[in-house]
Amino acid sequence: MIIRRSFVSLFSALIVFSALFLFSDSARSASFEEEATLFVEEMADKAIKKLTDKTAPQDERIERFRTYLNTHFDVESIGEWILGRYWNKATEMEQKEYLNLFEDLIVVSYVDRFASYAGEPLHILKSHAQDEKHVTVFSEIHQKDGKPAVRVNWKVEREDDLIQIIDVVVEGISLRKTLRSDFRSIIRSRHRSISGLLDALREKTAKLRKQTPN
Amino acid sequence: MLNRLLKMFPGTGFKSQFLMLALTSLVLVGCATAPDRNDAEAVSEYQEINDPAEPTMRAVFAFNQALDKGILKPVASAYRDVAPEKFRTGAHNFLNNLRTPVIFFNDILQGDFERAIATLVRFLINTTAGIFGFNDTAGDLDLEFHDEDFGQTLAVWNMPEGPYLMLPVFGPSNPRDAIGRVVDFFIDPLNIWAKNADEEWTIPTRTALEAIDFRALHYETIEDLEKSSLDFYAAVRSLYRQRRIDEINNGKVDPSTSVPSIGEFMDDDPAPSENEEISQAN
Repeated sequence: MIIRRSFVSLFSALIVFSALFLFSDSARSASFEEEATLFVEEMADKAIKKLTDKTAPQDERIERFRTYLNTHFDVESIGEWILGRYWNKATEMEQKEYLNLFEDLIVVSYVDRFASYAGEPLHILKSHAQDEKHVTVFSEIHQKDGKPAVRVNWKVEREDDLIQIIDVVVEGISLRKTLRSDFRSIIRSRHRSISGLLDALREKTAKLRKQTPN
Repeated sequence: MLNRLLKMFPGTGFKSQFLMLALTSLVLVGCATAPDRNDAEAVSEYQEINDPAEPTMRAVFAFNQALDKGILKPVASAYRDVAPEKFRTGAHNFLNNLRTPVIFFNDILQGDFERAIATLVRFLINTTAGIFGFNDTAGDLDLEFHDEDFGQTLAVWNMPEGPYLMLPVFGPSNPRDAIGRVVDFFIDPLNIWAKNADEEWTIPTRTALEAIDFRALHYETIEDLEKSSLDFYAAVRSLYRQRRIDEINNGKVDPSTSVPSIGEFMDDDPAPSENEEISQAN
């Protein structure tokens, strides 16, 4: 009898324990969903405040955008993901140079584009946690003159306590998927070498830098 | 998105013969070098890129780009300079409204009766209150425009997309979307009317207007992509496929598959399996 009672109490304790565990787990991802939403909202807000000033000289705008980009986006992991299997084939030196050039490319090609989008209001629709580390924040950017709203999804990742964006998907088009396709095609066409990609990146960023108005 | 660019010349008579000829010659000319069979990674990459006639497709792409630079882009640019934004929005709405029957048929063929009704109601409101479709009155009432085409219907019916194709004049495509384009052309009541009423000039005119509207609407996006991509051809290929998947799924994503972990997908341009498309569609 006693044995049986203690068995029952042990069993119920287990249930309570696992329920607590489950609850805390779902509460945790729910709070991450909220955190990610706040993060995206704050990012959009900062963009309006810090990046829309087009009167500043080019170098200053570029540096401002670089800081902004590195605060909100995990440039390194995006760059690594884009290379995929080629990442491990690159030497440490090549990896380092690639990441620098990749950041440069993003900075010079988006410095003015991002600023022009940033002026439009961003409406968060919902957020959804895939797992403990990944949340997608669904938003819409409303355009002027009754043009249809643009769907933008932000893929947010948490690593340790750092929250950063790892992809932007505009109307179904993922930024990093498109870049992956682009970069890897260059690698393939240049004898599957990373140095070929580095050359192409160098040329491209130099050219874009010249084209950016002062 | 890009597919609309390609509706320049509908496939009738001489033009469709030209198209067939062009398609045949495409198949006969260069193919991408098949990878070493012993290199498993290279083989899977080759399959995932799914562009077996890449060298030829690149040549066609260069031809299309020349056509764009020579004709479409200058026209679209002039249109943006001359016509005020309000007019351009009105013209865009008008062209969308003309597409209604094709959208409606494809809504039905996909078994999406809710969207079919929305399409029908939009047509009734916009053609009357919206003055022949120039005003998107239904859109203002939160009954928003959606597009459909037979290429999407075939995808919903589980037909595989096939290898990537770059069609002359029409641009990025695949066998499924190319078939869809032809079927849409024949089921469009406006085209049937044009033939019966001997008003065939309306067909290429409408297609040309659609091309100009599309090019003007996405002017900056296209310029930006070309400017910032290292390999514009590969960027367009990826963009076209991603956009088509989004259109097939009517803009809905399955959240459980939407964040792959870093390095999880070693592929390039994954042509998603039909199962994936369907699970995303549902």
